[in-house]
Amino acid sequence: MSDTSLQKTSPGRRMRLLAPPFLALPAVLFLVVFFVMPLIDNGMRSVISNDGGFTLSRYVSLLTDGFYLWIIAQTVLLSAGVTIISIMIGYPVAYFLVRKAGRFSGLIIFLLIAPLLTSIIMRTFGWQVLFARRGLVNNLLVDQLGILSAPLRLTNSPEIAIAALVHVLVPFMVLSIATVLQGIDTRLEESAKILGANRLRTFFEVTLPLSLDGIGTGAILVFMIANGSFVTLVLLGGGMQTLPLMIYQQFNTTRDFGMASAMSMILLVIAVSCLFLQLRLVRRKGT
Amino acid sequence: MTVVGARLNKGLVLTGIHKSYGKVAAVKNLDLHVDDGELVALLGPSGCGKTTTLRMVAGFETPDAGTIEIDGEEISALPPHKRRLGMVFQNYSLFPHRTVAENIGFGLRMAGMAKSARDAKINEMLDLVQLQGRGDVYPSKLSGGQQQRVALARSLVVNPKVLLLDEPLGALDKSLRESMQFEIRGMQRRLGITALLVTHDQEEAMSMADKVAVMNGGRILQIGAPADIYDRPKSRFVAEFLGASNIYEGHVSDDGGSLVTPGPQGPVRLHLPEAQKAGQSLLLSVRPERMVLTLGEASAGLAARVVGAVFRGNYAAYQVEVPALGRELFVYRQADGPLGSTTYHLGQVVTLDWAAQDGVIVSAE
Repeated sequence: MSDTSLQKTSPGRRMRLLAPPFLALPAVLFLVVFFVMPLIDNGMRSVISNDGGFTLSRYVSLLTDGFYLWIIAQTVLLSAGVTIISIMIGYPVAYFLVRKAGRFSGLIIFLLIAPLLTSIIMRTFGWQVLFARRGLVNNLLVDQLGILSAPLRLTNSPEIAIAALVHVLVPFMVLSIATVLQGIDTRLEESAKILGANRLRTFFEVTLPLSLDGIGTGAILVFMIANGSFVTLVLLGGGMQTLPLMIYQQFNTTRDFGMASAMSMILLVIAVSCLFLQLRLVRRKGT
Repeated sequence: MTVVGARLNKGLVLTGIHKSYGKVAAVKNLDLHVDDGELVALLGPSGCGKTTTLRMVAGFETPDAGTIEIDGEEISALPPHKRRLGMVFQNYSLFPHRTVAENIGFGLRMAGMAKSARDAKINEMLDLVQLQGRGDVYPSKLSGGQQQRVALARSLVVNPKVLLLDEPLGALDKSLRESMQFEIRGMQRRLGITALLVTHDQEEAMSMADKVAVMNGGRILQIGAPADIYDRPKSRFVAEFLGASNIYEGHVSDDGGSLVTPGPQGPVRLHLPEAQKAGQSLLLSVRPERMVLTLGEASAGLAARVVGAVFRGNYAAYQVEVPALGRELFVYRQADGPLGSTTYHLGQVVTLDWAAQDGVIVSAE
């Protein structure tokens, strides 16, 4: 807390503070010790070579080597894919929730949030139970219905990992969009209809443009969480490589801490740019 | 369709409209005829069914029974976007993500009009509502009155068959409301457009409409020219909803010439506008501004005492206590005393009277 910030706060404003500022000290200390300092340490580790000198070689190879670039691209593509699918699934659900559900909206919100109440490990194993070689789905297809002669290989593929990620991230999308949809005056849609727009055009001319902010917020949330997802990809991804998995590998298998640090810094940059985008979006709305 | 008389019903015709929500009937067997180029106001308290009626004409609600015709064509099966209507909402409902010009041009774009033709029309409308050069501005940058003019332009540019006005001035402050009343009315008349106005503000209804339909409980109680409705209310509800009224209950005297109303000191005889059948029960309504006050006691009229005096600028409102009737009555008088006060003062003894023809017999409804 600097002098200038103290000068800027007028006495009247300071009187209205709920508690004296020093009460924030434990929280600040906690963050400094367990968040800021490790982050600085991590940053330092990524630019100090094994013999103790300064080096950017890790970043150079991460950003030029085709193998690493492909992993970064895969990470971003996976998150983008999950985000797009979440929008396509989440928007209709949010629309139904706000405009049609009526007294059932509470139940729908509960059903949406329910998956978030189970631990991620349990949820992921749940998908395995469903899609394993002798799992529920294959059993149904082969033994019960006899559609297939041999079980399908459903687990350990990027598709199932994406499905699992979408499953857990869609609620964030739905709630972001629903909040904005709730705020749209239905009389705007009625105005469009009276002026000759059918339901489809009303949606694309009025409802969709006015709910873009909700889509934006939801997209950034989903993208960022998918970007850092680890357990789902380890258990269901079928050898798909993304940055979080590589970082884990560098620590546990290669034990190249410097490289792991550099990778996590890149992951951090992607996340921070997302937050920056969100801030710009919010600011645009404010003006 | 019959050839003869096919075009008899120009304008908007509602026949036998009924609408209920669950067990509650919002509109009951309603008939309404808005002539071509006429502005009719639906006036009533909230929950009287006026907004439901408007929304059924717009197509946002479907009537349970009855027909809605515009220029002889039944439209109740058409979706809103095929009805060729214009609508102005209380909160303007301008598209916040579109400029003023885009808002006005929206209906034209939906109709598939080319951009150049559209732009010409938009500029014409901007001139009409005195917003020249403001086409590129977003609605949030405009004042309430300007936004309402844009909303009006947006609904009129498509040349609608009927203009629907849903409490259009409710969000404006009083002085602006008055000038907008003239503006909307002037434009509607100039364009000769059929219009239906919904309002709970009796002053707005009377100053804008050719005809006022007073609604209550899902029914139209009375419809007619504003002056007619005001001066010749048929029912107690209409008399009291439009302006104030002093209502007397009693029965007709044996000679048929006066109303006998009970009072604490015995029955009181009040004069009736015309002779009535002796013995029947009646309600007599007299407007506060038709009451005459004279200072002191007089031979004719009712003795009274001023118990309330309110200065209202161009007139004064008095509350007078009439011992013979055991109740208080309201009297409005034009400001005609010395400047700076009301003509009569608290506690003064006055005599109250009115011309017999200023009384109106109303039903108890």
